[in-house]
Amino acid sequence: MWPQGVRRIKAAEASKAMALTQVSSNKCCGGFQKVFEHNSSELKCRMKFGIYLPPKAESSKCPVLYWLSGLTCTEQNFITKAGAQQAASEHGLIIVAPDTSPRGCNIEGEDESWDFGTGAGFYVNATDEPWKANYRMYAYVTEELPRLINAHFPADPEKMSISGHSMGGHGALICALKNPGKYKSVSAFAPICNPMQCAWGQKAFGGYLGSDKTAWEAYDATVLAGSYAGPQLDILIDQGRDDQFLSAGQLLPDNLIAACTEKKIPVVFRLQQGYDHSYFFIFSFINDHIKHHGKYLNA
Amino acid sequence: MRRADSVSHAAPPPPLRSEPPTGVQGYAASARRLCRRAPLPQHPRERSRESGACPTTLTFEQPRLDGSVKQTHRLEVIAEEDTETEQEPEQEPEQEPEQGPEQGPDPADDDLYDADECGRYGMWDKVGLGVELPTNEPYVLVAEKKGGTFGSGGEMALMGLPDEKEMSAPVSTFQRFSVESNESLRFEPYIPSDEEEPGQLRQQSGKTVYDEDVFEEEPRTGGTGGRGDSDPAGGGAAEAPADGDESEAADVFCTECMTPKTPLEPHKNHRVIQIPKAAMEIKDDLCAKMRKLEEQIAQMENFAGHLEEIFITVEENFGRQEQNLEQHYNDVIQTLTQRYDDRASGLEEEKKVKLQTLYTQLVDCGKTLDVSKELIEAAQEVHRNEDKLAFLQAVIPTIDRIEDFTKEELDLKLAATMEFENSAVDLSDVKQMMESINIVPAPSAPVINPQVPNSAGSTSVRVCWSLFSDDTVEYYELHYRPVLEDTTAEEPPPEESKVKVKETYRTVTDLLPNAQYEFWVTATNTTGISPPSEKAVYMTVPSPPVIKPRECASCPSAALIRWESGNTNPVDSYTVELSETDEETSDAITESIVAVPTCECLVQLQPGRRYCFSVRAVNIGGPSERSHPVTVHTTGTFFHLLEDTAHPCLSISEDGFTMFYGDEDIPISAMMFSDNTFAQCVAVLGELIPVRGRHYWEVEVEDHTEFRIGVAYQDTQRNGYLGGNNTSWCMRHVVTPSRHKYEFLHNGWTQDIRITINPHRIGVSLDYDTGKLSFFNAVLSQHLYTFDCHFLRYVHPCFALDHPGALTVHNGIEAPDYVHYA
Repeated sequence: MWPQGVRRIKAAEASKAMALTQVSSNKCCGGFQKVFEHNSSELKCRMKFGIYLPPKAESSKCPVLYWLSGLTCTEQNFITKAGAQQAASEHGLIIVAPDTSPRGCNIEGEDESWDFGTGAGFYVNATDEPWKANYRMYAYVTEELPRLINAHFPADPEKMSISGHSMGGHGALICALKNPGKYKSVSAFAPICNPMQCAWGQKAFGGYLGSDKTAWEAYDATVLAGSYAGPQLDILIDQGRDDQFLSAGQLLPDNLIAACTEKKIPVVFRLQQGYDHSYFFIFSFINDHIKHHGKYLNA
Repeated sequence: MRRADSVSHAAPPPPLRSEPPTGVQGYAASARRLCRRAPLPQHPRERSRESGACPTTLTFEQPRLDGSVKQTHRLEVIAEEDTETEQEPEQEPEQEPEQGPEQGPDPADDDLYDADECGRYGMWDKVGLGVELPTNEPYVLVAEKKGGTFGSGGEMALMGLPDEKEMSAPVSTFQRFSVESNESLRFEPYIPSDEEEPGQLRQQSGKTVYDEDVFEEEPRTGGTGGRGDSDPAGGGAAEAPADGDESEAADVFCTECMTPKTPLEPHKNHRVIQIPKAAMEIKDDLCAKMRKLEEQIAQMENFAGHLEEIFITVEENFGRQEQNLEQHYNDVIQTLTQRYDDRASGLEEEKKVKLQTLYTQLVDCGKTLDVSKELIEAAQEVHRNEDKLAFLQAVIPTIDRIEDFTKEELDLKLAATMEFENSAVDLSDVKQMMESINIVPAPSAPVINPQVPNSAGSTSVRVCWSLFSDDTVEYYELHYRPVLEDTTAEEPPPEESKVKVKETYRTVTDLLPNAQYEFWVTATNTTGISPPSEKAVYMTVPSPPVIKPRECASCPSAALIRWESGNTNPVDSYTVELSETDEETSDAITESIVAVPTCECLVQLQPGRRYCFSVRAVNIGGPSERSHPVTVHTTGTFFHLLEDTAHPCLSISEDGFTMFYGDEDIPISAMMFSDNTFAQCVAVLGELIPVRGRHYWEVEVEDHTEFRIGVAYQDTQRNGYLGGNNTSWCMRHVVTPSRHKYEFLHNGWTQDIRITINPHRIGVSLDYDTGKLSFFNAVLSQHLYTFDCHFLRYVHPCFALDHPGALTVHNGIEAPDYVHYA
């Protein structure tokens, strides 16, 4: 006990750089829904994230589900609208919901449009100026944030999964496809499946990654699926049939399905009749997704 | 304080290596004591003798009394153990200052302690064991305690010693010897060995084992009370002598001299074994002998009981015989008296008649004489008459009269004989009576017993009857004939059979199973034959039922067993027997379900087991033989297809789990439809066990098989397509030119779903409790779809092929864990 305690204290001292500030804490479904703020080394700005700690986390380490939100979202959207806490409490999952981009970096043009810059990090590591210093959301969600979570919360570092909505769905898919084995499972709501082929993606990738489309391929789920080699994934995708972005050709799930069919990557894609792109749609099926992750995280 | 004390108390090295024999003597002494005490409780025997019980019974009891004496001893020992356990910690601290500083064995000191202690407290005097007493229970306990203290004290732990648990293990009794020599680090269980040099370790360890033996088995060797009293004064010191004693005990036993010896004494070429071992061996030997005696006692008791019975029977028989004899002799005497009276009066009568006759004859004779005399006188008078004329006149009538008289012949024959008739007397009846004194009268009709349950076989019955106890019977004749239920009056009754029997029972064989037979019995002896008994109907037991494995079903929590009666006549009930057969050896019936009225039974089971089921048919005669067994594994849900629901185009494999939809077209006219067959959809139902809870099965399909699999109510429309109505739920696979299409159909509606990998093995999970029907790609553990549907009734698995092809059902599979995340 004693040496461990010492070690813990030392670790805490050593990681003062990773210090967290609690922004809010609310009891929820037996556990706690909290928001923390910290200085991100990847993004070089203050970042907030929401974290739900299930009751089980009080006594043992829990698996972590990372939720990547969509365009324009902050850490608040998911924790206030998705209603994931009940299922997370039941399955003993920690859910971490980070913000969608760096904020307040004072980069020129970052607040000009809703689908680029602030609130639209697209989960890539930007390579082009002026974005490349701060817009490293891919590194943030796959490296820095998990490290932070594992250090400060009763998280089982071996068990993490990822999910997301829209742009976040794209983020979840590329994180899983680019890091075979890192995530036990992946799911998505109305993901941008093939950003290279849609207006959102082309705008974002062009801005963050430059005009060389081969660099884009590293962040395109459909392209990544075509070259995926690693432990078997089980991808669950829900898509509202009345989603205006589906009909607008921003999401392109058929391309991903075709690639996965080709590469024999198991996907269950459910086209949900009457649902749109909103959090009402997410709320309706979040339980299925929590279960889907619970199946692999609690196995 | 106490903890520290006890630690240092652990330190004293064994002062005990010398003089082992003392312990042995102590042992022997206590053994003697046991012997002395054993015969003590003789009074019960005497008491029972006074009470007038059979002497034999008494002798039987004696060994038992001895046994019980031993038991009390043991009880005392246990009690002692407890008290000493409690006292022991109190004693430790005081001991410590004396022993702690000691670095080596000091027998002298120990001796001193011994004498001192025993003198002071007189603990051993009572038993006459003196200082040699080997009981060291307290010591053992102390040692164990020390082991514990070491660990918790922390010092040893810092030295990297084994943890507390190990320390307090039984072997820890050695540790205290080796603190300074560091031997406590070695936790070698001691194995007594003959070859071993009588070294230090050996002695100690041997002793320890021995002491434990004593502890368990020996009767009380020390006065508990005495020790308890002495405690406040200086009880702690009492431990030390105990330690000393222990070390001085002999540790080997010569099996040839049958004496305990020190290892130093020469017993060359003798088999020498450790004392505890020797004690154990001899104890075993003693036990064996006692067992033998006990067996004999049991035998003799049995025999005595038997004798008693015979005794009573002899009495009874005597009474009967005596009564019989008396009655018969009385009869004979009565008859003879009657005969005598009859004959005597006959003789009298005859005499009377004879005398009467003779008298009459005599009277007649006299009369004739008188007449003759009178005639002679008359003739003489006439003859004397001178007057010739007068003479002449008178003579003629006289002559006439004489002539008349003489004309009558004289009857001089005796009218009666002097002899009496000696008529032949018929004594044959008497003779018979005399003879029949030795035979009893013809028996009366025996009483036939009703059938005793469970006494019959399938082709045999055991018939029993009884007779009136007065009757003597040479043999019985048992008559029987089958009872035909449908016999009409015209038909002649079935032929009867009969068999001679000496006993009052008979097992009649070669009968038909599950059939009624009428039995009656007559008794015969030398005198004659009895009237027949009443008729009794006996029944043979049924033939064993035949389990229908194809109609059995199971799931992790239950099994449905179905069978055919195996009998043409109805039986009363069935008994289902089940046993868990995890070990192949166990054939024991673990459970029976009796009085099952129908040919099926739903049995609750434990999941994950293997059960063997068999069924017996039961009627009044008893249960049949067991049916052939079936084995049920409760790992998963197991069902068979209801082949009578299968569409005519669907053929089902021999094993019943693969279905084919052939390419060849069968003309509609050749198809055989019944109300139960699917007429549109080429489908078949499976019969799921009617148990709520969770069920799981898998279906194997080819890449291009177009199938519908799911569940349906038993009465789902036979002329519709599965999933097309609200009585069925199914997953459908359609191959379109562009892609494989999967539908999850209920009431004609499907979720729009895309699946990138065609499942070839589909897991179906049905959970009644949550109302969920889920489909999985069983190969990938991939969840495909879940129906939320609250099943109001039991559903059955359903399978259909929309195009020619095949699919195979896999049954009895344990539901994978991931079904819980559906």
